[in-house]
Amino acid sequence: MSTTQRSPVTFAVTMLALLFLYLPLVVVVLFSFHATGALSFPFTGFSFRWYRDTFGSPTFSSALQNSAIVATSVAILTLVLGTMAAFGLSRCRPRLRAPLAALFFLPITLPGLFVGIALLVYFARLDVQLSLTTVMIAHFVFVFPYFMLVAMAALDRLDPALEEAASDLGASPWKVFRKVTLPQIWPILAGATALAFALSFDEFIITFFVIGPDSTLPMFIFSKLRRTVDPSINVVSTVLMATTLFLWAVAFVFALRAERGRTRRAGGVLGEATP
Amino acid sequence: MSSQNPLRLERITHRFGSVTALDDVSVEIADGELVTLLGPSGCGKTTLLRILAGFIRPSEGRVVLQDRDVTRVPPHKRPVNMVFQRSALFPHLDVRENVAFGLRIAGIPRREVSDRVADALRLVRLEGMESRRAHELSGGQMQRVALARALVNKPSVLLLDEPLAALDLKIRLEMEVELRRVHRETGATFVYVTHDQREALALSDRIVVLSEGRIEQIGSPDDIYHRPVSPFAARFVGDANVIPVHVRQLRGTLATIALAGHSLDVPCGPSVARGPAWLVLRPEIVSIDSRNGAGGELTGVVRDLAFRGTGYSYRIEVPDLPELVKAEIAATHGGPVAVGNEVTISWDPDACGLLTRNSESNDDYHQAVNESDERDEDAADD
Amino acid sequence: MTSVTESRPPSERDRLRIGPVALALPAAAWMLAFFAAPLVVFLVYSFLTAKLYDVSGPLTLEAYRDAVTTEVNRTLAVNSLVVGVCVAAATVAIGLPIAYWLRFAAGRWQVLVLFLITATFFASYLVRIYAWRSILGENGLLNSGLERLGILDEPLGFLLYNRFSVSVALVHIFLPYVVLVLYAGFRPISPALVEAAQDLGANAFARWRRVVLPLIAAPAATSFVLVFVLAAADYVTPQFLGGTDGALLGVRIQAALTGSGNWPLGAALSFLMLAAFLSCYALTVILLRALRLHRIRFVS
Repeated sequence: MSTTQRSPVTFAVTMLALLFLYLPLVVVVLFSFHATGALSFPFTGFSFRWYRDTFGSPTFSSALQNSAIVATSVAILTLVLGTMAAFGLSRCRPRLRAPLAALFFLPITLPGLFVGIALLVYFARLDVQLSLTTVMIAHFVFVFPYFMLVAMAALDRLDPALEEAASDLGASPWKVFRKVTLPQIWPILAGATALAFALSFDEFIITFFVIGPDSTLPMFIFSKLRRTVDPSINVVSTVLMATTLFLWAVAFVFALRAERGRTRRAGGVLGEATP
Repeated sequence: MSSQNPLRLERITHRFGSVTALDDVSVEIADGELVTLLGPSGCGKTTLLRILAGFIRPSEGRVVLQDRDVTRVPPHKRPVNMVFQRSALFPHLDVRENVAFGLRIAGIPRREVSDRVADALRLVRLEGMESRRAHELSGGQMQRVALARALVNKPSVLLLDEPLAALDLKIRLEMEVELRRVHRETGATFVYVTHDQREALALSDRIVVLSEGRIEQIGSPDDIYHRPVSPFAARFVGDANVIPVHVRQLRGTLATIALAGHSLDVPCGPSVARGPAWLVLRPEIVSIDSRNGAGGELTGVVRDLAFRGTGYSYRIEVPDLPELVKAEIAATHGGPVAVGNEVTISWDPDACGLLTRNSESNDDYHQAVNESDERDEDAADD
Repeated sequence: MTSVTESRPPSERDRLRIGPVALALPAAAWMLAFFAAPLVVFLVYSFLTAKLYDVSGPLTLEAYRDAVTTEVNRTLAVNSLVVGVCVAAATVAIGLPIAYWLRFAAGRWQVLVLFLITATFFASYLVRIYAWRSILGENGLLNSGLERLGILDEPLGFLLYNRFSVSVALVHIFLPYVVLVLYAGFRPISPALVEAAQDLGANAFARWRRVVLPLIAAPAATSFVLVFVLAAADYVTPQFLGGTDGALLGVRIQAALTGSGNWPLGAALSFLMLAAFLSCYALTVILLRALRLHRIRFVS
């Protein structure tokens, strides 16, 4: 039986908020197809010419490629180191937990500006040339806490009884991990990896300070923002949004799969909206 | 609380989408009564309670409280309070502020609030716990605070939604005693919901037995236990044996029935007619005898035996009967009969009852019943 | 998790204890090397003398003196404070009803709407800034749209290049985060609590004031401070949407690092900002503790 309430005021606020969130983005996508190239109403006609122009531009292609490379490396690194760290953090001695957690989660609370400029100065001090590598290093620092948040939440929701049952039936710790723990958490981890990729792909605030001569997609947009006023920005924005949206949807689907699998096993309810 | 006007539920029907949770339910509750809504999961009892509380507006029907139609009145404006299944104590407030909650909203002056809260806590025997928070209390204590929190507002009706369901058995039994005492001392009208028939029998002035959204029977615990009017009520309250039989002859208040190839005379009420019927046999009136040639009528084989402390529970397989016969034998009657042994079953004919039967359903049980009928008929024709 | 180790024989248990930490070491090393160390170096730099894109020489408080005494810095600091507080207040004020609806009134729609809201994370930071610039300008979408509809004769000039436009864009950016944090904060609150309040006579206003807000106070305060910090330190949004009126301190810091090359000044400004943020956070914790709302233990 449902115990959801009627709450017209909060419903109205929610719907208005959704409108507020999506309208500007929809408008950006819309005008990427604008035939005349003006960025105001009236909307005169559809055209793909801006897409053709942009995809034909070598600077765009290389920026896109660089973003993909960096994001992929960051995603893989985060998955490996992050999964290990999540296990380490959740099962380590209680005394170590607070300092480790602080080290892992603090970057979220710190504005990217500070992380970026600290790294800029640091790399200069160490005589390290700014390049895509330094970008990748910086992205890991930024992305890692988000991955950890998701991974820790997933580990917290594991039922220890399942692992105990496996041990009881004779499985070694590695076997327990492979046959009991991993099957339960891999969807969430996959989703978190997609999230890591998306966060890196989108990142600008820190990238601005630690990037060398190469460009990433957000840097490309930034340079266009300063100089040009035509729908090519809309095109790049749309490409960026589409990629991230796809990845976000992937992450969400994995999260749902994990949740459904868990509820099938343990009988809980997503959101606990019903008693 | 001295109003003579009762609480009335008039022809309540409620649907959730295509599912009918309650079908034309009407109940009148007198002032100061403890009425229990009893039934299995899904029978509609919680829905009915929530309609009383105001959280659900029924698809059809009215709720009348003290001659006032409150069907459309929202919960916070009804003079009705509820004790929730899991207490729902506010975690950010201590016990005193939890109990005082309703009074503070009503704007009651501070000194009166203090007095009434103290009285309420005294009523549920939790003096001294004012500064505790919910997570520092045991399950039983939480429910007592919830009870105080509801009663302190002096509601016209107190609703209790399976308040003991989440408690351990021992605490549950203690809380039953507390609830009876509180009910006596306050004289308030209680509407209680539970699926536990034992609890219902122990607490109630009257019981409303519900099944699949409909009322099966309303009556005092004694009425429902000794004089169930339907097979469902008989099975659900007291876990009686409900055996399909055939009424051969009727002579006044005596019916001759055919049962597993034997003939028996049992007293019956005026509604019983010739033809198919149900024999209601409470397990505690069944006697068994394992001696050979004891001259009994029905014989069977013991299929299950459980020790209950005060006695034994038997399940006995009798040929031609569709279900195992349940018997509760007190421990004073000698040692138990082991599983697999043959026994003779007998009972005092005046202690059993007959109910009318309509043979509509086509499920397995009723198939078996019909086959049993045919065997009875054949046997009688010999 | 400890139960897994407790059910083992002593020798295995000890081995397991050392193990887990080792798993976390690579990540910890990375974070130490590329997060903690740079910040420490940066802090030291704030006490050094500036040379073009480099530092030198003796420890000095020159950078801090410079940071605090310059009039411009003070104006920008005030701007950052005002914008930060407004954006934080707006996002929490809007996020609360949304999170409430999702938890208590959404029913079947919960998953979908939650996805829709969090899916806006796909919109990159820069894209949003660009979107609002094209909407709010004098030739922008809002003005041109309203002019075509006949509602306006002349474009509204006050929409862009001020604190308002910066705030709107920042709210747009941070609202999904806040909704997520508040929704997580609402999860342990059982619907029965709100019903109990209603049953005891509380109308909607009383329910919010006496039950919902106290229970969500800690997560709400945390998200408030988080958004405040992130908004006040933003340097890109003010660059494109702020003009002179909406300039924030972050722009000056970025300029000091990549523009004028005065690293100690940038560092000094940064750590002064961080100190201010830390005090805000401390203030919040003190306030919550004073109201006894800092840690609420829910009974399942």
